[in-house]
Amino acid sequence: MSKPLHIDLLKDEERLSASPIRLRIMMPIFSLLTALGIAVWWSVLVARAHTLALQKAEIEHRLADLKPAHNALLALRAEEQDLSATLKQLTFYKNARVVFGETFTKLAEHVPDKVQFTEMRIPPPPPLPPQDPKKPLLGPTNPVERVTLRLAGRTNGPEPVNALFNTLRTPDFTNLIRSAEIPKGAFRQDSARNPSNRETLLFELTCECAPRRFE
Amino acid sequence: MFILSIPTMALILLYLFLMKNGPLTVKLSSQRKPFLDIVGLEVGAALSEGVPAVRLRKRENEIELLSAGFLKLQDALPETEDAAQQSHPIWLLPSQFQALHAALAVSSKQSFLRHASGSGDETPDKRQTAFRTVSRTAAPDLPPLVAGLPEFQAAWAARILPEGRKPTACSLQLSSAAALNGLTTAPAFLSAGGTVAALFVFPEYTALAAFQESRLVLYREHPVGYVHLRSAVSTQMGIDIALADSVLDDTLIDPTPIIEPVLRPLFRQVEISADFLSRRRNCKTTNFLLCGLPSGATYWSTVFSHMLNLPLIVCPTLDGVKRAVRATQKNAPPPLSKAQEQLLMVAYGAARAVLEDV
Repeated sequence: MSKPLHIDLLKDEERLSASPIRLRIMMPIFSLLTALGIAVWWSVLVARAHTLALQKAEIEHRLADLKPAHNALLALRAEEQDLSATLKQLTFYKNARVVFGETFTKLAEHVPDKVQFTEMRIPPPPPLPPQDPKKPLLGPTNPVERVTLRLAGRTNGPEPVNALFNTLRTPDFTNLIRSAEIPKGAFRQDSARNPSNRETLLFELTCECAPRRFE
Repeated sequence: MFILSIPTMALILLYLFLMKNGPLTVKLSSQRKPFLDIVGLEVGAALSEGVPAVRLRKRENEIELLSAGFLKLQDALPETEDAAQQSHPIWLLPSQFQALHAALAVSSKQSFLRHASGSGDETPDKRQTAFRTVSRTAAPDLPPLVAGLPEFQAAWAARILPEGRKPTACSLQLSSAAALNGLTTAPAFLSAGGTVAALFVFPEYTALAAFQESRLVLYREHPVGYVHLRSAVSTQMGIDIALADSVLDDTLIDPTPIIEPVLRPLFRQVEISADFLSRRRNCKTTNFLLCGLPSGATYWSTVFSHMLNLPLIVCPTLDGVKRAVRATQKNAPPPLSKAQEQLLMVAYGAARAVLEDV
């Protein structure tokens, strides 16, 4: 008999494994353990989500409680900022103050006899741009402001005015008055008071003073 | 969470699929590897010695015997479906028989093994019981052999070895078919040339298998077994069965006059079969072998020689089988007598069929 006569009546599903580790048993156990693990994982996630939701609700409640105080604080901070800005502006104005008193006191001592001042004027700064009602300006936006001094008076000739002009260029005044000039046409006869008196002249001096620095 | 549930669902679906279509082990086992270590077990032999068990191992393309013996196990084959459902014996084998796989050979009175009739109807009997049948072509020019076993007996035998323990069943054969495979290594069979007719003696019947150029060309069963001879001797001599066996083995009393009437019809059928082979296949049968007979082989040969004028050569089951070293060690089962070795014919053939079926 060259080939064995193996007439096998065993069905495929009746062929079993001798291994103690059987996939038929291990598969459901593995599936169960996996499902159990995922369920535990989900439970942990749900618990954590619930805890976070509770924490969120508590924080929101506390935030709601703190809201009025927070609004008051914000209002106070805004007011403080406004006041600080105002104070800052005032400090700028204080620092930008130009002291004319001492200069004028010295000027009185150097004014020639033949000169009579009729006007000592510091022209106001140029007007501010139109204000936005929503955002009012507290002061000039330009940190440097030009300051001029206009002196006008009577004299009987150009010499006293020139003397006064030269006096203004002495160190006693240069701290304040940086430059001075006699504009064209500054001398003219004073015909308004007495048309017959041709000896009295009106003059005008323009002085460029140290600028106001808002710093 | 939805994403996470996908693998879980996949695992559950896979499990359900496997449960519906059989365990995964079955799917894996369909890619069979050659078996190298097999224990052959005869189920339902109902021998007083126990369940015949033979463990064979294939090493370096040579088959060797590891263990052989009889195991005290419950092997009463259920005769009805109800009995099969109520009986669930679990066989746990001793360590020397724990091969990885087992080849089960079922001895059932309800089973059949015969050549297909050619009409296409392979189920010979219109029975109420469902049969599990398999056919196998032994030679291209011969009708195939059809084996059948009641479904409930096949299912009962298949679950007798539990899963997860060595061994598990890898083959389920009929004892008559399994016995044919034990002949291949017999020196008498190998040395015989031409056409060989072998008589496989079972308790209730005797099977005649004729081999031409080592190919099975004829298989027939005749309802005369060694139990009938025992009964005849026991009845006519007024002795019990055990003593009848002694009489058949002994030469002090000649039981030929008692057994000849029993054997004559059988040998007449053998003669007819030999004539059939001579006429149909043009092959003269000159070699006759006797297998599986536990006692009285001498008288069988004598009667056979008287009738056919040809010798009937006794073919011991385990002759020509190489013994492994382990089989001679201390924990090996006790040595077997020649009569006991003959009873291992089916178990040995079942294991051998699996080992050689590559």
